[in-house]
Amino acid sequence: MQRRLLGLGVALAALGSMLVTTVDASTGDSPVTLTIGLMQDLDSPNVTVGVLVADYELWNMQYATLTDKAADDFSNIPGLAESWEASDDGLTFTYTLRAGLKWSDGEPLTADDVVWTINTSKEQEWLNHSATTANLTATAVDDVTVQIVTAVPDPKLPTMDVYILPKHIWEEPASTDITSFDALDGVGSGPYTLKSRNAGQDWTMVANPNFWRGEPQIDQVVFRVFTEGSAMVAALKSGEIDFVHDVPSEEFDALKSEDGIATVVGQQGGFAELAMNGMAGGLGDGHPALQDINVVHAVAMAIDRQALVDRVLLGQGEVIGTLGVSPDPVWTPEIPEDLQLNYDPEAAKQMLEDNGYKDTNGDGIREMPDGSRDLTFRYAQLSDSDTAGPNQQLITGWLKEIGIGTTVSTYDQTQLTDVIASGEYDMFVWGWTPFVDPDPMLSYFTCAQLTTDVESAGYNDANWCSEEYDALYEQQNQELDREKRVDLVHQMLTLFYTESTYVVLYHDADTQAYRTDRFTGWVQQPKDTGPVLFSNTSPSYWSLAPIDAGGGTTDSTAPGSTDNGTGTTVVAEPDGDDGDDGGNTGVVIAILAGAAVLIVAGLLVLRSRRARDDKE
Amino acid sequence: MRRRFVIGKVLGALSTLVFVVIFNFFLFRVVNDDPINSLFRGRNLTPDQLERLRVKFNLEGTKWEQFVAYVQQLLRGDLGYSLKSSRPVTTVISEALWPTILLVGTSTLIAMVGIVIGYRAGWRRGSTFDATATSMSMLTYSMPEYWIGMVALGVFAASLGWFPVGGLNDAGSTLTGIERMLDQLHHLILPATVLAIAYVGEYMIVARSAMIDTSREDYLQLARAKGLREAEVRKHHAQPNALLPVVSLSAINFGFILSGAIAVESIFSWPGIGQQTAFAISGPDFPMLQGLFLMISAAVILANLAADLLYGYLDPRVAGR
Repeated sequence: MQRRLLGLGVALAALGSMLVTTVDASTGDSPVTLTIGLMQDLDSPNVTVGVLVADYELWNMQYATLTDKAADDFSNIPGLAESWEASDDGLTFTYTLRAGLKWSDGEPLTADDVVWTINTSKEQEWLNHSATTANLTATAVDDVTVQIVTAVPDPKLPTMDVYILPKHIWEEPASTDITSFDALDGVGSGPYTLKSRNAGQDWTMVANPNFWRGEPQIDQVVFRVFTEGSAMVAALKSGEIDFVHDVPSEEFDALKSEDGIATVVGQQGGFAELAMNGMAGGLGDGHPALQDINVVHAVAMAIDRQALVDRVLLGQGEVIGTLGVSPDPVWTPEIPEDLQLNYDPEAAKQMLEDNGYKDTNGDGIREMPDGSRDLTFRYAQLSDSDTAGPNQQLITGWLKEIGIGTTVSTYDQTQLTDVIASGEYDMFVWGWTPFVDPDPMLSYFTCAQLTTDVESAGYNDANWCSEEYDALYEQQNQELDREKRVDLVHQMLTLFYTESTYVVLYHDADTQAYRTDRFTGWVQQPKDTGPVLFSNTSPSYWSLAPIDAGGGTTDSTAPGSTDNGTGTTVVAEPDGDDGDDGGNTGVVIAILAGAAVLIVAGLLVLRSRRARDDKE
Repeated sequence: MRRRFVIGKVLGALSTLVFVVIFNFFLFRVVNDDPINSLFRGRNLTPDQLERLRVKFNLEGTKWEQFVAYVQQLLRGDLGYSLKSSRPVTTVISEALWPTILLVGTSTLIAMVGIVIGYRAGWRRGSTFDATATSMSMLTYSMPEYWIGMVALGVFAASLGWFPVGGLNDAGSTLTGIERMLDQLHHLILPATVLAIAYVGEYMIVARSAMIDTSREDYLQLARAKGLREAEVRKHHAQPNALLPVVSLSAINFGFILSGAIAVESIFSWPGIGQQTAFAISGPDFPMLQGLFLMISAAVILANLAADLLYGYLDPRVAGR
């Protein structure tokens, strides 16, 4: 028996040493890898199916677009197309592709691929393409020339930011049901293409040698899915990963002071709002007081936005009261001082008092001017949101101070969508994240987007609309002069701020952090205010270079320098120490050896005890 | 008689399963009818596109029609599509099954050491060994696994760096064969130990009290009177009789292996059933939850059936004669 145990011990020790060997092997001669931690798995790598942030990041890496967006300000820059021309009527655009473009598998990328993608996505109404391609028709003039005709004037053109798919891969699945294609082919034209995916765990993107800007300097980018935010932050600190997207807000402050780690608060125009039921769609039973703009303004002035940013977002956000319609701050107007609805509970009370909303029965809650009902509003909030609870406690408290009561209900997203469509609410808190072009976000608050039939709900969740706003919307939608269009959008947003039933609470942010000792070339999009990865086109992937790879960042063709035609400004790097990856082997050996000894000793003791028992 | 016992138990299990199928379907439909609007909020989809999505996720027609379609699907072994990943629920579950069996299975097996400890403690009730083992078990039993997990992760993974912070493999690793297995083992040690610590107390406490109950039985005195040695009395007369509660506990726990361990899998980003459940709840992803509940219920029902049948075998009084 003793001999057998000895054998077991030896086997365990051998196993331990093999384990150590593999640990060693994985830190040895391996490709230069950037590892990114995030709290979201891909839903589908198929661009006609997925809808998540993680998916867009994959497609941004894998599929180049005809025109690209400058890192600094989203302006239109050459992509697969090196130049383009518009016809005088602004309806026809002719794009010239770069010569010699190739897919990552070596097949030529021609006008045919572009035409096929645009026309097929329009016909088959692909989820992520159709909003852009719905009015377009493309024809190939020759291998490198594509003509695109739009049925209506469109200020978004000549921006063509749809993902161009390789026809030779996608034609076959598109002939039956394109949405059932697994899209693990990994053929693309962007800086990286998908190499492998382990659902629920990770996916790996490898550098594309045929990328039109040149091959990226990092061999592969691994995305690792975490289900616990603190574990993800721990992995960043220990050097297991290089970048964290969506740092939990309670960990963010501590990370700021951590050596060798840089933090980024990236604005993308996403915001949270307190929406009140304007009843413009005619459905439901919203509180009549909310159709009085004075009550809406009193509610707005009762809310301390700065306190929300400080206490709910723990400082990771901006006190901005206007709608976020784009990650590009150029679209955000300055609201004139006399129109601003700033925190002023006394003025809010006075406004309610002056308009006849008085507390006549002394219960602390005001009544309607005709005394018919209390100013008590139904407040709906989301169940699956970290900010919902704190927001609600603060906001309902402030409303109480000015004599407005609330009854709170909590819903999941699906239920709240239904509640909003049916109009059976008074106020709710939710948020939006806009696209780069302001048009979609602006369109949500037109009269056409009101819900007048529950079965076909529109997007207008302010349940408010105005002819003036709609007229401005139509104008900006056809205005091809950018300056003028910006001005129109500013007018719309100022109008929306002063007249709608929407109170924008704050603009929230992506909290990101990265190690400064491994890679350089992080690019914020847009400059100074945006995130470094998971931005609109994520330009960082091409400019990132390993710090210790010998000359990676001094390469003159690398976009590490400012103004190289890509509109890119690289984040200044603090000096960081080089990482020390391989120092744990000894410890692992010690632990394994210790564990093996303990197990063997334990078994021996048990054995001898049993033997003694047997003799008792 | 025996056959009737078996048939009765099997029929009981089957009817429970049918009930679960029905309950499962309507439970989620009562909470939520049509998740498509919120799922694709702000996507600028045409009514046509929304319609197609409703068909894909079996959300067309009345509740009854949906139910019939669901049962037909089920009989074909099809659990529908996950709302979140648009992938077949059966694929997602089958991918998550192996990591969960590996993690929870390993820790359940390790935790069965608790049975041995419990028997010893119960046999020598009041001894130092008993006092130590019992208080240790109570301690680990009452510690939340979430907390043990966070501490273990903070100390052994984040600070000391002996183990990876999570996952089943090194992310992006291309290892195969034995090296891949060893890599998984390296990832497994920490979460499996945490779970085993959380489970061991339960086994120990049940085994100990079963042994204490048995040790008061007269037939043990008889065995001693026959002149058997103490070890033989324990081995051949006490332990087999103290086995029953332990068997049912183990069988039920084996059923629950498939339900994964939500807390520990979440902390260690372990791609198993528990993690999928957490993902699905946060959605909420109804087809996925429906599929998971069905699979977990079926596993527990089967494990219970196995326990019942085993019980009948171990204690013929239960099965009748």
